[in-house]
Amino acid sequence: MSERLYFGDFRTGQVFVLGTHQISAEEIIAFAKEFDPQPQHIDPVAAKSSILGGLAASGWHLCALSMRMMVDGLFANAASMGSPGIEEVQWRKPVYAGDVLKLQAEVLGTRESSRPDRGYIRMRFSLSRLGKSAQPQLVMMFVSSVIMGRKPEAA
Amino acid sequence: MWFEDIPLDEELVLGSYTFTEENIVAFARLYDPQPFHIDKKAAEASIYGGLIASGWHTAAVWMKLMIASRREAVASGAQSVQDNFVSPGVREIKWLKPVRPGTTLTYTNKATAKLDWPTLPKFGLLEGINEARDESGALYYSFINRVLIARRNPR
Repeated sequence: MSERLYFGDFRTGQVFVLGTHQISAEEIIAFAKEFDPQPQHIDPVAAKSSILGGLAASGWHLCALSMRMMVDGLFANAASMGSPGIEEVQWRKPVYAGDVLKLQAEVLGTRESSRPDRGYIRMRFSLSRLGKSAQPQLVMMFVSSVIMGRKPEAA
Repeated sequence: MWFEDIPLDEELVLGSYTFTEENIVAFARLYDPQPFHIDKKAAEASIYGGLIASGWHTAAVWMKLMIASRREAVASGAQSVQDNFVSPGVREIKWLKPVRPGTTLTYTNKATAKLDWPTLPKFGLLEGINEARDESGALYYSFINRVLIARRNPR
């Protein structure tokens, strides 16, 4: 992997592609059984007659899955110190078992912190479905600030 | 319950959930494997000074308790039909205090606004403020949810 990323390495407009993931019926059902046990998320038969028309992932599952892709694709190699929250989450389209999803993060801005060891990176995370068409379809997006450590001064 | 019948500004207690080292680590291993969520030793050396729950874990528990609470309302006859929660998104997720093992949070919901959702005229959009507090009343988590509820009288 490349060198560890710190606050100073982020620039407005940077785009990070954080990998792809094919979501399975098993993982949709496993998440939903614990946190969102509605028919459209846990029962493939009942899901067909639901408003979503098929077994679809819980929106909270998509958030959690995006987090995992962020950690694997970016934060495992960056000085991430967590996040104070999310400005907005948009669930745009249902995500169905078998869909191949791609996560992308765009830096919207950076902000100094009153604490000298960190700063804030404001990012938009976009989860898209890859299909046969050329253009990926946006299924979820959220905007969040991430606390990022600064590079320690060389001794 | 139809969109038209939902009362505004009434606080519902959705239920309580105890975060444990076990459930914090189990969630984070799957969805948010950052050191301060999965590794006690590394967490002690982090800015949090110990293991804390993933913010998405705190968020997903809200959905779990919301569904359990609505099912209880149906079972007790207080509500006639099971809601189907379909949401276009949420806003202003705030992780205000780190959630540590042993913390029990009680989640509440209060509907605050009824809005039109022009693309789905059979539904209205209900907005509400949601909070999670510990036994002493300290606020750990809040967000604004949005859910589509069927109208008795479609527009």
